[in-house]
Amino acid sequence: MGPRGIPHRHKALFIGIGAVALMLIGAIAAGVILLSGAYSTSATKQHFWITYRILELGLEYSVNAAADELPIPRVDDAQALPIGHACYREHCVQCHGAPGIARDDLGRGQLPSASSLSQSARDWPAQNLFFVTKKGIRMSGMPAWEFRISDEGIWSTVTFMKRMAFMTREDYAKFDGANANARCPRPTKAEPYTDELAKITLRQYACDNCHRMEGIVGPKTFVGPSLENWPQRKYIAGVLPNTRENLVRWIRDPHAISPDTLMPNLEVTPEHAEHMARFLLDDR
Amino acid sequence: MKSIQLTLLASALFIAACVPERDFRPHVQGGDAERGRVALKELECGACHVIPGVGGAHSNVGPPLENYSRHSYIAGKWPNEPERLIAWILDPPAMAPLTAMPKVAMSERDARDIAAYLYELD
Amino acid sequence: MRQSALHPAANSGAALIDQLGSVLYVGAALIFVLVMTLAIVGVVAKGRDVAVKHWVIGGGLIFPSVTLTALLLYSLAVGNGLSSIGTTNALQLFLDCFGGRESLPISMDQPLKIHVVGKQWWWEVRYEQPNGGEHVVLANEIRIPVDRPVELVLSTTDVIHSFWVPSLAGKVDMIPGRTTRLRVQTSEVGKFRGICAEYCGGQHALMAFVVVTQSPTAFASWLQLQSQPTSAPSDATMRVGYDAFFSAKCHTCHTIRGTPANGTDGPDLTHVGGRAMLAAGILDNHIGTMAGWIAGPQDIKPGNKMPDDAALTGVELRALSAWLGSLE
Repeated sequence: MGPRGIPHRHKALFIGIGAVALMLIGAIAAGVILLSGAYSTSATKQHFWITYRILELGLEYSVNAAADELPIPRVDDAQALPIGHACYREHCVQCHGAPGIARDDLGRGQLPSASSLSQSARDWPAQNLFFVTKKGIRMSGMPAWEFRISDEGIWSTVTFMKRMAFMTREDYAKFDGANANARCPRPTKAEPYTDELAKITLRQYACDNCHRMEGIVGPKTFVGPSLENWPQRKYIAGVLPNTRENLVRWIRDPHAISPDTLMPNLEVTPEHAEHMARFLLDDR
Repeated sequence: MKSIQLTLLASALFIAACVPERDFRPHVQGGDAERGRVALKELECGACHVIPGVGGAHSNVGPPLENYSRHSYIAGKWPNEPERLIAWILDPPAMAPLTAMPKVAMSERDARDIAAYLYELD
Repeated sequence: MRQSALHPAANSGAALIDQLGSVLYVGAALIFVLVMTLAIVGVVAKGRDVAVKHWVIGGGLIFPSVTLTALLLYSLAVGNGLSSIGTTNALQLFLDCFGGRESLPISMDQPLKIHVVGKQWWWEVRYEQPNGGEHVVLANEIRIPVDRPVELVLSTTDVIHSFWVPSLAGKVDMIPGRTTRLRVQTSEVGKFRGICAEYCGGQHALMAFVVVTQSPTAFASWLQLQSQPTSAPSDATMRVGYDAFFSAKCHTCHTIRGTPANGTDGPDLTHVGGRAMLAAGILDNHIGTMAGWIAGPQDIKPGNKMPDDAALTGVELRALSAWLGSLE
């Protein structure tokens, strides 16, 4: 017993109860905030200053920690700039703008707004820029590009961005004019199959937006049939027997098999389609 | 202390109850869902489909019909609405010539009731 | 479809069994009431003088001897009646005295012989032809004419099964290495469901069949039809189905007489379209169930011998189901 008042063991108990009560209040408060719609999800209302700073810092630290894991592709320096610029023009300028070039409507309505790359290209190491471009940023307007642009293309784009940070308006305009014919390379080779890669592939073609699948966290969607329990199913789209070959055929060109189907042709590469089919048909 | 906690909890539950229902809920005119359930069992649609609430319906030849009222499309081609669903049930090959689902003889009333039952599957 | 030992077909073996059951039940109930009454009387009328010897000898010796002897003779007669269907056995006549309107008419015909082979999990059915020709082979459905004794010759090629049509007759096991026999006869036209009555593996509960009783003329024309082979179809859609039957390798297990299909591991399908049910008495027979069975037999009867890999396109599946359905 202490010199006066509450015994020690009771003190511990009160602290414990107090902590639990606080957590309970916190949970209820969070619930009320969530369910009452008090937290604004609109892109027009600005964040609280502290929220913004925390998210910004979080991004920086997270990318810093993860960026070193990515292998850097070998790109011929002479090729890098024209290819990188082609990719930038095809995919980036719409949201990020360029020296002397305003971003499109797409890039103006976002929260957070897409960074002006002049600053990011100066501040961030190339490795980090490569990571963000390749892997995207969740819950923002920045998509992952690794399924749309080859690694060499992305690295070339980073090389171009680093140069772009030091271009005048005139420099950029000249470069733009001289490089009309270059094309941004799409990915050529898929990584070897893993379950994780297959899941990423399915999400990166937005399959999870129409189909529920086991092991994939996504919206509760009923647009297309659920693909849960897929190995047990006998037919694809009610038309073709459910075999690996048929599934790959279907994924790559649904309209060739069922002319009026609402499943779009997402131009899935043969290897990606193989990965998807293998994942779906795997009897886990 | 306790009264504050209770008030917060109560308000949370009240607010949760005010989430709007789905904007479009399909409804079949003149369809009897219970008769539809019986029709599904008698016609043995379970020979191909998983159908909640119908005994012995656990086959995987056709797609499962769980949550059917929420499905956007019928056979991946047609918007899922009452009159189209009834037409589909009555004659699938007429709407999708390549489908595996055969035309099984039944009355229009049976098809209407079946559609009514399927739209009860939330 | 009738499947109840308590609802037997008229003038059938099951009717005799049901009658025996009723006699036992009513008799036992009466004796029970009698005994309980005596017990109550014994408690209530305490102190009354009773002629003990009379009760012991009368109630303990004479009464049981008389009733049980009568019961024994009756049940022997029933048993004999069941097995003597279609004979002129003297006990058959004895049975007539007790049977009243349930008695079986004496028939001098040769019984119609049908071989039924129990297999996991279906029934092969072979009719002996009157002219001694090849057996007529079908599966999962047996049709018999009314008012004619039928002898079912029962056997099995794998494990013990038991043949039971509750509304027509009692159970008889089918035992590997042996042949057993069951005599069946009825005067009632109708459809009756039968089941396997001895656990024979995973799908024992889904091993059923149909017995259809018909007038002699209807039966004769049915048997004549069953003995006919079919031929390849000329209709374009049916032809797609016919081709699918072979591309999906169905012919390696099934026979369809009149086509190159002559597999014997599975049921004969020559006249499958005319059967009341599919998959050994568990699915109604229409194009929908036919398609579901062909495309997904393992979902319906897991572990059964029909594989799940028909791999037919939607069009082929429907055409095949339609063609098989047309084989009546």
